[in-house]
Amino acid sequence: MTGMGRAQTAPPRTAASQQDAVPSRPALQSSLPIPAPITINRKLIVLDPAHGGVDSGSQISDTTVEKDVTLALAYRLRSLLTARGFTVVMTRDADVPSEPDAAGTALTLDDRAGMANHAHAAACLVLHATGSGTGVHLYRSELEASSGVPTVVPWLTAQAAWIPQSQSLEKQVAMAFSRSGISLVTSNASVRPIDSLTCPALVVELAPSGDDADSINNTDYQQRVALAIAGAMLFWQDEVRPPARLSASIGATAGRSTQSDTTGAQP
Amino acid sequence: MIQRHQRIVFWCLIACILGMGALLAWERHRGRERIEALAADQAPLDSPTAMAETVTLELANDSDGTISPASRQIALPEEANARARALIDHLIAEYALPGSPHALPPGSAVAEVFLLPLPLVGYTTDSTAKVTKDGGFLPTAPVASNDPDPLQPKQPGGELAVIDLHSTFVNQHPSGVEVESLTLRSILGTLHANLPQIEQVRFLVDGQARETLAGHADLLRTYPAVNTTSGGNSENVGQSN
Repeated sequence: MTGMGRAQTAPPRTAASQQDAVPSRPALQSSLPIPAPITINRKLIVLDPAHGGVDSGSQISDTTVEKDVTLALAYRLRSLLTARGFTVVMTRDADVPSEPDAAGTALTLDDRAGMANHAHAAACLVLHATGSGTGVHLYRSELEASSGVPTVVPWLTAQAAWIPQSQSLEKQVAMAFSRSGISLVTSNASVRPIDSLTCPALVVELAPSGDDADSINNTDYQQRVALAIAGAMLFWQDEVRPPARLSASIGATAGRSTQSDTTGAQP
Repeated sequence: MIQRHQRIVFWCLIACILGMGALLAWERHRGRERIEALAADQAPLDSPTAMAETVTLELANDSDGTISPASRQIALPEEANARARALIDHLIAEYALPGSPHALPPGSAVAEVFLLPLPLVGYTTDSTAKVTKDGGFLPTAPVASNDPDPLQPKQPGGELAVIDLHSTFVNQHPSGVEVESLTLRSILGTLHANLPQIEQVRFLVDGQARETLAGHADLLRTYPAVNTTSGGNSENVGQSN
């Protein structure tokens, strides 16, 4: 695994991620170091249309492959979210996901997670598609929730601190689908790279609307799904709260929120 | 009076018919041999000698994404490894039946199941020990103390099951987050229901680590063997390797 042992410690690098970010408070003079608050850009959503390039994903029908459906849904979502005032970061906006600064270099799953983590987004949505079942399948990570963000974040379980937020996001999106009359299955799944994301993260798997697998390409159906998600994000931007950051000296006594953590949670 | 060229054509046709008949018989014989070889491969290493017993299979349903328990009468071998393998093969055979709510390709899914006692420790030869006089092996010593985070059992006697899947099964498995997750949860739940000493499960494909089952579900992490029925006491463990 390429990302084994990596820690998400780098500061945000995208310009968009700086918008609306809560400024860090000056360090207090104290014997215990006060960790910097975790910043979240409430107006930023990361979309990860899964697969791409030589990785076609699942064969949904004779003429449809998963990578095309996920990209089409991502385009729709990006338009709707942008119209609602969000900034959208997509891990790919063409067939082949590639490094912006290294032409032709394909992104790995860990690269995609790194891109999402640097954005400090209010929500990270990993988009998949399948020919089995109907409606939308909604998943969050199978990791057990941890009490806060440790000083050094293990790459393979980085999502653990964000599980409570991912659960809340799942409820918000599930309510939106319920209001839209779209059949929904919610569960947990271990699908890379969701366990490495440091943001409220969900896997949204689009299935056909009926028995015909090609109904997954129906534009009205995809638009309804995208509208439901975009509507849920409007509510979510006011609810999202970053997890507490664990002080190095406190270590595993965790669960405590410092004053700066609380500050970081404010919009 | 039959002309000569007509007689030649007649006997050529007779020769062709006989040749095709022989070819057909030969192909049929080969086909039977292939089926017998496949059947022999599917038989558990330790053939069941006991009476049929009631086991619980945790069956998946693609339409609503649920796992529900179902009782079956199955004769299983006594040996634990062969028992685990036979359980999974019966489970996959259920999914291969026509009209299955979680349709999977027929055929043997599991090459082997290895049960390892927890905590998972390695052993190394004790280089300080002297070779025995009769030329035997060097004594071994556990190296658990060198591993800062070994897999630990929750109960004494807890085991790690390493399931080695056939690539033929994995390559034909339907692709999708839901369908792949349901297959894994179904296997985990079935093992937990019938072999409670299995606490954790890892997957291999043809003896090698593989990233995903069919492009989605992670096969590199260690899964907890827990009750995976919908609404069951599902426990999440974030153990990744």
